[in-house]
Amino acid sequence: MTKKYIGKRILRNEDPRLLTGQALFVDDINIPGMYHAAFLRSDYAHARLKSIDVSAARKRPGVIAVYTAEDMGDDWKPGPPLVSPPPTVKDVIFFSRTQVPLVKDKVRHAGEPIAVVIAESRYIAEDAVEDIVVDLEPLKAVADLEKALRADSVLVHDDLESNLAAHMVQVKGDYRRVRDEADLVIKRRIVIDRGAAAAMENRGIVANWDAKSQQLTVWDTTQAPIPIRNGLASRLGLSAHQVRVIAPFLGGGFGPKMMMFYPEEMLIPWIAVKLARPIKWIEDRRENFYATTQEREQIHEVEMALTRDGRILGMSDIFLHDTGAYDPYGLTIPLNTQNHTMGPYDVANYYSEIKVVFTNKIITTPIRGAGRPQGIYIAERLLDIAAKELGIDPIEIRKRNYIPPDAFPYEHGIIDQAFSPLILDSGNYQPVLEKAATLIGYDEFIREEQPRLRAAGRHVGISIVSFIETTGVGPYEGARITVEADGKISVATGVGTQGQGHFTSFAQVVAEQLGVDVRDVHLVTGDTAEFHWGTGTFASRGAVVAGNAIHASAVAVRGKILKLASEILKAPEDELELEGGQVRVADIPQMSISLGELASRANPLRGAVEPGTEPGLEATAYFGPKYGATAFGTHAMILEVDPETMMVEIKRYVVVEDCGTVINPLILEGQIHGGVAMGIGNAYYEKLVYDENAQLLNASLMDYIIPTATEVPRIVVGHQETPSPLNPLGTKGAGEAGTIPVPALFAQALENALPEYNLEILETPLSPNRLFELLKEKEISR
Amino acid sequence: MKIEGDYLFNGPRDEIWKLIRDPEVLATALPGTKSLDKVGENEYVGEMNVRVGPVAGLFAGRLVVSNEVPLESLTLTVDGKGSPGFINGTGNVVMIDQGDGTTLMKYEGEVQIGGRLASVGQRLLDSASKSTIRQGLEILNSALQARVAAKTEGREVEYQPPSESRFIAAVAKDMAREVLPASRVIWIVITITIILVIIAAIWIGRS
Repeated sequence: MTKKYIGKRILRNEDPRLLTGQALFVDDINIPGMYHAAFLRSDYAHARLKSIDVSAARKRPGVIAVYTAEDMGDDWKPGPPLVSPPPTVKDVIFFSRTQVPLVKDKVRHAGEPIAVVIAESRYIAEDAVEDIVVDLEPLKAVADLEKALRADSVLVHDDLESNLAAHMVQVKGDYRRVRDEADLVIKRRIVIDRGAAAAMENRGIVANWDAKSQQLTVWDTTQAPIPIRNGLASRLGLSAHQVRVIAPFLGGGFGPKMMMFYPEEMLIPWIAVKLARPIKWIEDRRENFYATTQEREQIHEVEMALTRDGRILGMSDIFLHDTGAYDPYGLTIPLNTQNHTMGPYDVANYYSEIKVVFTNKIITTPIRGAGRPQGIYIAERLLDIAAKELGIDPIEIRKRNYIPPDAFPYEHGIIDQAFSPLILDSGNYQPVLEKAATLIGYDEFIREEQPRLRAAGRHVGISIVSFIETTGVGPYEGARITVEADGKISVATGVGTQGQGHFTSFAQVVAEQLGVDVRDVHLVTGDTAEFHWGTGTFASRGAVVAGNAIHASAVAVRGKILKLASEILKAPEDELELEGGQVRVADIPQMSISLGELASRANPLRGAVEPGTEPGLEATAYFGPKYGATAFGTHAMILEVDPETMMVEIKRYVVVEDCGTVINPLILEGQIHGGVAMGIGNAYYEKLVYDENAQLLNASLMDYIIPTATEVPRIVVGHQETPSPLNPLGTKGAGEAGTIPVPALFAQALENALPEYNLEILETPLSPNRLFELLKEKEISR
Repeated sequence: MKIEGDYLFNGPRDEIWKLIRDPEVLATALPGTKSLDKVGENEYVGEMNVRVGPVAGLFAGRLVVSNEVPLESLTLTVDGKGSPGFINGTGNVVMIDQGDGTTLMKYEGEVQIGGRLASVGQRLLDSASKSTIRQGLEILNSALQARVAAKTEGREVEYQPPSESRFIAAVAKDMAREVLPASRVIWIVITITIILVIIAAIWIGRS
């Protein structure tokens, strides 16, 4: 059946509001009588809290209250663990140490909050923070992952024997056996450093306790309003129905806004209830560098065993993962890495050992990619090295190792981040690679363009890398769809929205079933008063899990529409069609009734209804996949390096992706573009620099460089659709597809652009500086 | 951060030694110092305004002198904190009599910096600290020469330590030179002067 709405490039419903400043963000919330919060944060990365004197701050005119850990009494509790350790794997070790609302005994990372001031204005609150006298006894801090595991390291958590937070091994086949049989074994150390999500909008919370209605309303820049509601209700001793959490428009989520609970997220509502006044806290940019979670730091000792003709026999990876000072997010990131280190390849033997390490740095939780870029970096780097050593073309070696299309569903025999078996549901990898090679003009570039440019002294390189992206994990999402009396459609779902185009793509899914204009579908996301159940927007699951829940409830509403219309129009259901907001008899279009009229008839004011019927044209449905759907893609790039400045210019950039059924190519391409921009930052600009005392040295956008329009090229996006068999729409996620392979793509392109140096890049992020250093090292060793 | 350097004083070693052991003189060499009080034989506490690029604020700190070999060497340990962050450091100072009436001071140290000073001021920290030290030593040298002159000529030479604003201006000029060639600095100064004159003219015209 050809689709009328799904798959169409429809302009975004939300854009007029966003572009004309009519969209609500948390900082837009202003309530009369509202107070403002500011936090005292530790300058030290590791220190014992000896004493704290807030008396001067309390005396400052305009200050309402100051709270320390002591002032919280029994309400002071470490945050709940967000994800518990995987129960299904043998011998897993996991020490759960979650973040605290305010430092009680010991500071464990720079920026950890020690006290909070509530004042009539943010200005007064900030000034009062400086009035607080705090006596911190500095302790030696540990920043380095390997040093943290040494016996002589200081301990981040004094009650543990070491800084090892978790240890877990997953095995497939027998790597040791194939290693002995292999023609080639590549053994490398790969280092991946930290970055920030750097969302345009920082975090923010406004909480308002209405004592008369006994109702708490919280506006929060969260990707997961429903779990925040549940957690707040339980911590504050309220029923879930007394707490309403609203995640309005967000200026970017990217993962860190899915951390639960940030200290501020627990404290601000707690104080609002205590003072019975609205309280607002908006994170400033410098706080964002210290108080919002980060990601990616890992050190890998990897091996790949291959045959002479470039077939992977097995891989082994022992890696350290930096969780920072606490580990509320469990093993999600390293599990994702573990799941992606084999890339899209048919690897029969695999040994992967995770060691999660506590350090005196800011907590790490998933950021767009969430452990996947690290795994893909390893798979692609090792294959590049193997291709070089074996004299095989980089495209050819990938084709030889792809999981073949007839092998799906492909079971890896290990578990994924959701503790389900890692099964790749569907895919057809080679045509995607070939399409990308064609779009970038791979053969022609290698044959003609590159030799000509090289002869002219230009340093141009090409690269092509593939990736998989596990997406759309459970447990579930839900949606309620109502046909209103004016014929318009209201949809409510629990996930929050951070710019993904939900208001349009979800509307298309509804329109497909109900035959209405996409603009007549009104969606509410992220308001717990509108929809009670759900988990959140993460792991590229919106279009998969929420999308299919919306589809299911649209199908149910369609059923109700047809049943009622069939009675009214006296025509069998299968002769009816939904078109232009009308239900009509297919052959006799003048016999029709509008959806609005039908909705009114379904909700009569007088008369008897048949027992068992429900009023209105409304349905609620849920969707939970058996396991996650896995998308695939290939990126290709041509770049030029300026050998004087080491600045790069991307000449051509191609992405071909297969994320199953495409709901809206325009939105999908937007997601890819944004993802690539972030990936370019990850690959060549963005790096959080810590010194050996775990002090962050570039906590401002002056020194932490994010890509701007001039660094992001035009991106050509091609599509292939291999539907997922796991859901009725056939969708897979695409939110992280733009970001995941970019560091691997940069490494290959830079090596290719500078052949005279015979570079081997085994780290990311790079930077013009770092590339210069790598070239100097090569020059010296030559 | 490592700090390392040397400086040639135009005066004998015993005079410069007296100078650096005199908290009042030392305070003038580090403008921004609001106070520097001796609290023990070799211990001082004080307050100092610090400005590095966009980061500014008041530091309260403690300075301890140890390993003193009179006229030759000493170790300085600094421990300060304030709203812009914290500084902990140890430095060794050695004085070498050059035998021609001049004294060579060599210094090296290791400083740990945290908070806003480290995270936002980082890119300016190196040049700002170098420049601050250089300017401070220049002032000490002027004070030294004033004292030496007073001794040899038997008259009081008036020595006027620079104000904080003059000091900051000197540091800024010094740092600008590191970034821009001198000729360009002149153009910037001329441009700024012209703009100021225009603003002043408009303001006078209005009133």
